Amino acid sequence: MIENLPILVVLAMVVFAVTIPFWKKLSFRFTLILGGIVLVSALVANVAIWNHVQANGEILFRFGGHLPFLGIEFKIDAFASMFSLFVATLSLLIYLYSSGDKTEGIEQPEFFRFYVLFFLMLFSMYGILFSNDIFNTYVFIEILSLTSCAIVSIKRKKEAYAAAFRYVMLNEIGSLSFLLGIAFLYMSTGRLNIDLLRDALHTGTIQANVWMAVAFFTAGLGLKAAVFPFHIWLPDAYASAPTTSSAMLSSIVSKMYLVILIKVYAKVFGFDLLKGSALSTLLLVLASLGMILGSVYALAQKDLKRMLGYSSVSQIGYVLLGIAFFSEAGLRSAFFHMISHGLTKAALFLAVGIVIYLKQSRSVKGFEGTGFQMPIAMSVFAVAAFSMIGIPLTSGFIAKWNLGIAAETASQFGFLVLIVVSSFLNAMYFLPILFTAFFKDPADGPQRAKPEKIPAPMLVSIGALAVMILLLGIFPDWLMTMIDVVLAGF
Amino acid sequence: MAKQKLLVSKSSARSTVLVILSLLFFLVFVASMSNWFGLGDAIASSEALVRIAMRDEWLLVLLILPILGGFLQLSLGSKHVKWRDRVVIGTTFLDLALSLLIYPNALDGGIQIDFPRLLGLGLHFHVDMLGYAMILITNVVWLFVMIFTHVYIGHEKRSTRFYFFLALTYAMVLGAVAAADLFTMYLYFEIMTVASYLLVVHDQKDDSIKAAGTYLFMGLFGGFLILAAMLLLYFEVGDLRFLSALNALNDVGSIKYWILGLLIAGFGVKAGVVPLHIWLPRAHPVAPTPASALLSGILIKVGAYGILRVATSYYFPLEGSADATWLTVKTVGFFVIWLGILTMSVGVFMALQQAHVKKMLAYHSVSQMGYIVMGVGIAMYLGDHGAIGYAGAVYHILNHALFKSLLFLVAGVVSHHTHEMDMYKLGGLWKKLPVTTILSIVASLGIAGIPLFNGFVSKSILHHGIVEAVHEGSWVFQIAEIVFLVVSAGTVASFVKMNYHLFFKKTERKYDSIGFEWDGMNAAMIGLSFFIVAIGLAPGFLIETVILPQIRLMGFDPHFVEEAFAHLEYFNPTDILTMAGVAAAGYLIFHFGTKHHWFHLHLPRWMSFDYLIIFPLYQLLYRSCKILDRKNQAKWEEDERLLSIAGTNDTDTFSRIRRAVVRLSDATEGPIMQGDALIYAGLIAASLIILFLTAI
Repeated sequence: MIENLPILVVLAMVVFAVTIPFWKKLSFRFTLILGGIVLVSALVANVAIWNHVQANGEILFRFGGHLPFLGIEFKIDAFASMFSLFVATLSLLIYLYSSGDKTEGIEQPEFFRFYVLFFLMLFSMYGILFSNDIFNTYVFIEILSLTSCAIVSIKRKKEAYAAAFRYVMLNEIGSLSFLLGIAFLYMSTGRLNIDLLRDALHTGTIQANVWMAVAFFTAGLGLKAAVFPFHIWLPDAYASAPTTSSAMLSSIVSKMYLVILIKVYAKVFGFDLLKGSALSTLLLVLASLGMILGSVYALAQKDLKRMLGYSSVSQIGYVLLGIAFFSEAGLRSAFFHMISHGLTKAALFLAVGIVIYLKQSRSVKGFEGTGFQMPIAMSVFAVAAFSMIGIPLTSGFIAKWNLGIAAETASQFGFLVLIVVSSFLNAMYFLPILFTAFFKDPADGPQRAKPEKIPAPMLVSIGALAVMILLLGIFPDWLMTMIDVVLAGF
Repeated sequence: MAKQKLLVSKSSARSTVLVILSLLFFLVFVASMSNWFGLGDAIASSEALVRIAMRDEWLLVLLILPILGGFLQLSLGSKHVKWRDRVVIGTTFLDLALSLLIYPNALDGGIQIDFPRLLGLGLHFHVDMLGYAMILITNVVWLFVMIFTHVYIGHEKRSTRFYFFLALTYAMVLGAVAAADLFTMYLYFEIMTVASYLLVVHDQKDDSIKAAGTYLFMGLFGGFLILAAMLLLYFEVGDLRFLSALNALNDVGSIKYWILGLLIAGFGVKAGVVPLHIWLPRAHPVAPTPASALLSGILIKVGAYGILRVATSYYFPLEGSADATWLTVKTVGFFVIWLGILTMSVGVFMALQQAHVKKMLAYHSVSQMGYIVMGVGIAMYLGDHGAIGYAGAVYHILNHALFKSLLFLVAGVVSHHTHEMDMYKLGGLWKKLPVTTILSIVASLGIAGIPLFNGFVSKSILHHGIVEAVHEGSWVFQIAEIVFLVVSAGTVASFVKMNYHLFFKKTERKYDSIGFEWDGMNAAMIGLSFFIVAIGLAPGFLIETVILPQIRLMGFDPHFVEEAFAHLEYFNPTDILTMAGVAAAGYLIFHFGTKHHWFHLHLPRWMSFDYLIIFPLYQLLYRSCKILDRKNQAKWEEDERLLSIAGTNDTDTFSRIRRAVVRLSDATEGPIMQGDALIYAGLIAASLIILFLTAI
C-alpha cells in the first residue's frame, strides 16, 4: 500500500487542481478547507513514505509495467523523499498563509485560479522529485515553468506582466537548454532513464558531446535557478508577484531546480566524473560571484521585495558553492542550506507581505514603528534576518558552519573569507530594517501604535516558520541524520 | 524652591540594607576561605554542607536564573513596578550567592556540565578558576549596578524592556565565561552582542541608533572573524575544547598563526583593542548610565577573557613539554604586548582631550584594556615564565570592573542631578554631592593605582611583568616600560583633571535643584567602593583564592611561579616609590597641561581611525564606481559636494561605504539587466569552450 502513496500524492495534487472550478461553485471556503485536507494528507503520506524508504530502501514504480528503457519510471529514494517532505511542509504553511490572504490584491475572482496554479505547481514539483526518467523530468519542468510564470502575473498589473514575460522567456531558454542536453545524452547513449543513462555513461570513453550535455544542463538549470549571472529575471519577478507567489517561488521552486541539478550531476553523470574537471572551477566562480554580488546589489535596493530577491541570488550562490565541491561534505551543506533557506525565505516574504499590505508601500525606508504595529510579523522577520546573517541558535548558522567545513574539506580555505564577507554584507542590509522597525518612531503617530489586526492563519503560518528556524538551529541533528541517510545512497 | 524630602526613603533604606547584606555575605565568604575564627574548618567538617556546595547543578541554576528572572519581570511589567524591581534585584542577589557557593567546587578540579546534542556540536560548560574569577566579578558588579539602576531608571520610559535586555545580557556573559569550548563561547558571545546592542540603543534617539548600529556591526564583524578561526580550528584539530591543541597544530604551518590572529582580532573588537576600538567612545555616551557601566565594566572584559582563554589553552603545551612548542605563543605574544602598549597610549591620549565625561571614561576603558591586553601578551611572550603577566591581566580585569563601573555610576549621578556632561561647564559639586565626591575620589585612586587602593597591586604586577620581559626578552621592552609609566602618569593626570573640574573647581554655578538625599544609588556605589578599598588593603586575598590556583593548573613552570608569588610583597618600597613618582608626574602633567592648554588639541579630520583604516578602502571603491558610472557624473559631483559640507565626524564610515556600494550597483545593474541575451550566450560559449578543451 505504501508503495502506491507517492503516485497517490501526485495524483491528488493534479486532480484537486483540475476540479477546483467545480468545488468553488459550492463555496470558496469549502474549497480552501478541502485544499487544506489534501495538503495535510500529502504531508502525512510523505512522512510515511520517508519512514518506509528509510527502513526498506527505495520504491520503484513502473508506469504500465514497462521495462525501464521503454517506459517511464518513478524512483522514490531517500533523496526524493526528504525533499518531498520539505515541499509538503512548506507548501502547507504557505497555503495556510494564503488562506487568510487579505494582502496584496489578488482579486477575489482570481483566487481560485491562484489555487489551481498552486496545486499544479505542487504536482509538477512532486513529479520532478519522483521521476527517474530525464525526459519525464523535462515535462514536469515545463509545467513548473509555465505555472510559476502564471502565478507571477496573476495580479493583472502591467509591471507583473512585463516581469512574467521576461521570466517565461528566460525560463524557456533554460528549458530548451535542458532539452538540448537531453538530446545530446540520447545521442550518445540512446537512453532516457536515469539509471540506465548512468550505466551507459560509465562504460567506455566519454565523448565530447557528453561534456556538451553537461554544459547545457548547467546553463539551463542555472538560468532557472537564478545562478549569477542568470539571475536577471529574478528581482522583477519577485517584486511584482503577489506575496504568496514570491514565497512559493523563492522558497520551494528555486530549490527544485537546484535539486534537479544535483540529481543530474550525481545520478546521471556521477561525481567521480565531474570532480576534477573545469566544471567545478566554473561553478565555484559563479557561486562566489553570486554570493558577493547578490548581497551587494541587495544593499542598493529601495524596493523591499527586490532586495529579498537579490538576497535569494546570494543564498543560491551558497548552495551552488556546496554543490561545486562535488564532495559529500559539500552536498551535506548544500542540502541543509536548501532546507534552511526555504524556511527562512518563506518567513521573510510572508512577514514582509503583511508589512507591505498594511503600509501600502514596498519601500525599504518605510519601516518606522512597524515593530510595534505588527509585533509578530516583525519578530518573525527578525528571526529570519538573524538566520540569514548567521547568528547562532538559527538554522542559517548551522548551514554556514557546514558550508565552511565543506570548503575546508576541499582544501579551499579562501572561501571562508567569502562566507564571512557575504554574511557581513547580509547584516548590512537586514539590520538597518530591524533598527528602523523597532527603534525609530513613525513620523506621524505615537511611539507605540496599537498592533494591527492580522488574520490568524497568516500569523500561525509565519510563527510556525520562525519556530522551525529556531528549532532547526538548536537541534539540527535530526535533519543531519536524515541527510546522512540520503547521502548514503549517492 | 525648597524641597522637603525625607532624608531616607523606604526604598533607599531597603537598598542600603541589601548592600550591607551582600557585603556581609562576602565577609562570611572571606572568613571561611581565610579560616577566620576557625569558620573554614567548621564548614569543611560539616559533611552535609560540603555535599550541597559541591553539586554541579548550581552552575546550571546560576546560568539560567537570570533568564528566568528576565521573563518573570517582563510579565510583571510596568503595572507591578515594585515587584518587578524586587525580582530583578532578587535574581541578581541570588546569583551572587550562588557564585560564592560554587567556589569550593570550582576550586576542586572545576565544574563540568555537558549537553552533547544541542546545536550540532553540543554545549559544554567548564568553570575553572579563571572562569570563576570572571563569574564572581560579573555577579558582584551586576548586583550593585542593578541596585543603582532601579533608583536611576525610575523616570525612564520602557524600563521593563531595559531590565529584560539587562537580564539577557547577564545570562549571556555568564555563559560565555563558563564555556568549555570555543563553540559554546561563540554562541553566548554573539547573543551577548545583540542583547547589549539593545541596551545601547535604549533611548532610541538618532544618535543612539547610529552609535549602537556601529557597535552592532563591529561586534558582528568580530564575531565573524571568530567564526572563521573556529572553522579553521575545528577542521585542523577536530575538537574545540579549551585544551592544548599544539599536537594537531604544530605541523600545519602558517594556519596556526592565522587562527590565533583571527581570534585576537575577533575578541579584540569586543575588548576595545586599537584600532578596533572605535565603537567604544561612540556607544558609551549614548547608552544609559547603567548600560555604560556594565558595558565598560564587564562586557569588554569578556573580550579580554576570550583572548586570554584561547591563547593560553590552545597554544599552551601540556605540562612538561619541550621548549620548541612555546614558539608560536611567544612569537604572537611579542606583538600582543605592543598591541597593548598601543591601545593604552592611544586611550589615555584621547581621554585627556575629552570634555564629555562619559567619553573620557570610555577612552580610559580602552586604555585600561590596553593594560590587560599587555598582561596577556606578557603571559604569552614569556612562555612558561609568563605567570606574572597572566596574574596581572586577570587581577586588572577584576579591579577595572570595580573602579570603572563605579566611575560610570558617578558620572551617572552627576548627569542625573545636573543634566550636564561637559566637565568644563561643571564644578564645585563637592558641596552638594559630598558622598559622590568621596566615591569619585576612591574610584580615581583605584584607577590611578595609588597604594591602599586596588589598582596599585594589579598595575605593580603588570609592571613587574614588563620588567621581566625586558630581562628575559629583548631590550626593546624598555621602551614599553617607559610608555607604561608615562601612560600611568597620564591616567593620574586625567583623573585629577576630571575630579577638579567636576567637583572642586570654583564656579559661580549654583545647583539649587540638588538637595541631599541618601538613596539606593549611593548605597550601591558605596558597596562597590568597599571592594576597591578592601582589595587595596588586602591584595593577597584574591591572588591566593582565585588567581594562584588557576596559575598552578596551567603549563607555567612551577618553580618560577612559587618563586615569583611566594615572596611577593605587595607593599614593597620599590613599587610604592615608582607609584609615587608616577603620581607626581601625573599631577605635573595636569598642572602644565591646564596652564598651556594641552588638553584641547583638535586633531585634523583625517586623523581619526575611521579615516586611516577605512578611508583608503572607501576611496578605492568610490573612484572605481565613478569610473564605471561615467554617465552619472552630475550625481557624483552632487554627492561630493554634500559630503564636504557635512560635519567633521558626522559622516559615519559605514554609511559612506554603503553609499559607494549603492552607487556601484546602480551603475552596473542596468547594463546586466539589459544585456541578458548577450550574457547568456557569452557564458554558454565560454563554458562550452572550457569543457571542450578539458574533454579533449
